[in-house]
Amino acid sequence: MKKIGRRQFLKLAVSAGATAAVGLRFQRKRRLTAPVQESSPHRWAMVIDQARCVGCGHCTLACQAHNDAPPEITWNRVVEVGEVGGRNVFLPIPCMHCGDAPCADICPVGATYQRPDGIVMMDYDRCIGCRYCEMACPYGARWFNWQTFDGENPAVPDWGQPEVERRPRGVVEKCSFCFQRIDRGLAQGLTPGVDRAATPACVNACPVGARLFGDLNDPESAVSRALAQHPSFRLREELGTEPRVYYLPTRRQGQEA
Amino acid sequence: MKLQLKSLLKPGRRSRPTHHSPLITRHFPFRSLLYKGWLLGLLAIMLAGGVAAVAVFSQGLVVTNLTDLVPWGLWISIDLSAIALSAGAFLLSAAVYLLRIKPLQPVARTAVFIGLIGYSMAVMTLLLDIGRPDRFWHALVYWNPHSPLWEVTICVTLYFVVLLLEVAAIFGQAEWMQRRWPRLARRLESTHHFAPILAVVGLGLSMMHQSSLGATYGVLKARPVWYRPNLAVLFIVSAMAAGPAMTLLASQVAARLTSRAIVRQELLDKVARFIGWTLLAYLYLRFWDGLSNSYTYEPARSEGWGLLTQGPLSYSFWLGEIVLGTVVPAVILLNGRLRRQPRLNLLALFLIVAGVAAYRWNTNLVGQLVVYNYWPHEIVPLYTSYVPSLIEVLSGAGVIAYGLLAFTLGVRYLNVVNHSREVERFSTIVLLQA
Repeated sequence: MKKIGRRQFLKLAVSAGATAAVGLRFQRKRRLTAPVQESSPHRWAMVIDQARCVGCGHCTLACQAHNDAPPEITWNRVVEVGEVGGRNVFLPIPCMHCGDAPCADICPVGATYQRPDGIVMMDYDRCIGCRYCEMACPYGARWFNWQTFDGENPAVPDWGQPEVERRPRGVVEKCSFCFQRIDRGLAQGLTPGVDRAATPACVNACPVGARLFGDLNDPESAVSRALAQHPSFRLREELGTEPRVYYLPTRRQGQEA
Repeated sequence: MKLQLKSLLKPGRRSRPTHHSPLITRHFPFRSLLYKGWLLGLLAIMLAGGVAAVAVFSQGLVVTNLTDLVPWGLWISIDLSAIALSAGAFLLSAAVYLLRIKPLQPVARTAVFIGLIGYSMAVMTLLLDIGRPDRFWHALVYWNPHSPLWEVTICVTLYFVVLLLEVAAIFGQAEWMQRRWPRLARRLESTHHFAPILAVVGLGLSMMHQSSLGATYGVLKARPVWYRPNLAVLFIVSAMAAGPAMTLLASQVAARLTSRAIVRQELLDKVARFIGWTLLAYLYLRFWDGLSNSYTYEPARSEGWGLLTQGPLSYSFWLGEIVLGTVVPAVILLNGRLRRQPRLNLLALFLIVAGVAAYRWNTNLVGQLVVYNYWPHEIVPLYTSYVPSLIEVLSGAGVIAYGLLAFTLGVRYLNVVNHSREVERFSTIVLLQA
C-alpha cells in the first residue's frame, strides 16, 4: 500500500474543493424570512371563486386574444373537476406565479425569472426551448411552441386585440398575469384589479365575476378582502411553492357568502 | 464470403487468452465485402437521419411525438446514454494518470476516443432536441448557476475541450498524419504531455456532470418519483460500470473483426473485474433506493414505481435494467471462469451497455408518464404515454450510426484499439514530482 504523497493529496483536495464549490452554488443564498422581495410595493395575486365559475371558458378565449396565443395553447385552461350539490365544479388554471417558482430555479439560461412584484416572467429572446421548465412546473402551466403560429388568431377580434408580440416557434410560453396591462395601467395612474384597462384580460372577461385581481400588499384590495373574509386554498400547497393564485372553494347552496 | 461470415460469428480458439499468445488477432480483411457493407449501411442510416434532421429543423418539433406532458423523450435518452457510455474516458484516464496503473494506458486511449464520440453524439441529439438550436450558446453567456442543467452544459462544454485535447494526441500519433503533415502531427502529439493534468480536470468535470445529470431529474419536486438525492448517485455509479463496459465491448468486438485492433486480454480482464464490483455497488444502492421509494404510499411516487415494476416499463425495468443489465453481467464478470469465456464476456458487456440505456430511458420516462393532478383534497393520478415518432427514431438512429462509423474509422485509420503500443513515458508526471 503506497502512502499518498503531498502532491497527490493536493490534487485530490483541489478536485474535491472544486466539486464542493460548484455544489455550494446550487445552494440558495436567499432568505430565511418571507419569500417576498420587497423592492416592489406590489404583490399581485388572483382569487378565483369556484362557487361562481360556470366553466364557460371566456377567460381562456380572452387570454388567447389579448396575448395572441394559438388555439392549442391555453395559458389559462379550465378543467372540470367534479360535482358538488348537483353543480359542476371547475378549476381554471393559469400560471400560479409562485412566490418560490421551481421553473425560475432550474432554467439553465435564466429565461424565466421573477419580477419584484411577483410576476413570473418569460424572456422569449433568451429561451433556448429545452423544456426543462415544463417538467419542473407542478401545475402544467407552461406551453411549448411546437410549431410556428402564423395563421389568423380565431379569438381575435371577438375576444380582444393582441397586446403582446407573438412568440416564435421553439420557445416555452405561459401566463404573465397580463403584465402589459398592469404596467401600462400603473403608468397611467390606474389600479390593477379596479380599473379594467389595468386588469388581466381573463378577469375582465369573466361574465360571473368569479375572478378577482389585485395587490396583496394593499389590505383594501379586492383580493385582500376576499381572502380575509373567506376560506381559501391554493394548489399543491404542500410543495411550498407559495402560489399567488388563490381559490375560494365551492359551497353548498344556501351557504352563499 | 461465406467463410468470412462463419469466422465472424464463431469465436475461434484463437480469441481465447493463453499465456503464450497475449495478442488476440483475427484476420479479417478490412477491404472485405462485409466491411464495405457495414460502412454503407451506416452511411445509409446516417443519410436517413440527416433527412429526418432536416425535417426537424425546418418544421420544428411538431414532427415529434413529444408533448407538453412528455417534453423529453427518445433523444434525451440517447443523449444520457451516450454520456454514460463515455464515462470510460475519465475513469481509465484517472486510473492511468492518478492511480498510476500505467499498463492500462492503451485502454484509456480507446476510452478517450469513445468519449469524444459519445459527447459529440450527445451534442447532436441536444441540438435536435432544443427548440432554438440557433441559441445553443445562450447557456454559456446567460448564466443561471442555480440550474443543474446549466452546470451540466458548462461541464459538458469544458469536458468536450478536454476530450478534444486528449484525442488530438491520437491524431498526432497516426502514421498517415506524421507522413503528410509531420509538423502538425508533432504539435498534436505534444498535447499528450498534458495528459495527467487533463486526467485530473476530466475527473473533476465528469464527477460533477455525470452526477448532476441525475440531479437534473432529482431536484424536481413537481415529480415525486424523481425527487430524491439518490438519482445523482445512481447516475454516476451506473456510468462508472457502463462507460468502461462500452470501452471493453468496442475494443473486443473490433479485435475479433480486424487485425488492426489488437487487445491484450489480461489488461481488459482487470477492468472487467472492476466493472463487476461496480455493478454490485450499483445493485446495493438501487435496492435501498427502490425500498425507500416503494415502502409507503405516496401520491405520484407510488404510481411511478408501479409503472416501473408492473406497468408498461416493467419489462425494460426488470429485464433490461435489473436482471440482464446488472445481475447477470455482475455474476459473469465476478466469476473468473465465466469471465474468461470470450462469448460470455462479450455478452456481459453488451448487457451492461443495453442496461444503462434502459435505465436512462426508464428514468426519463417514469416521471413524465404520471401526470400528477391537483384537485384539492383528492389524489387523482392520471397517466399519459409516449412512443417516439418515425422522425425521432430515424434521426436518433442517424446519430448512433455516426458514433459507430466514427469508431470504425478510428480503428481503421487511427489505431485506437492497439494494446501492443509501447506505453509512453510519463514525462509530465516526472515534472510534477520534481
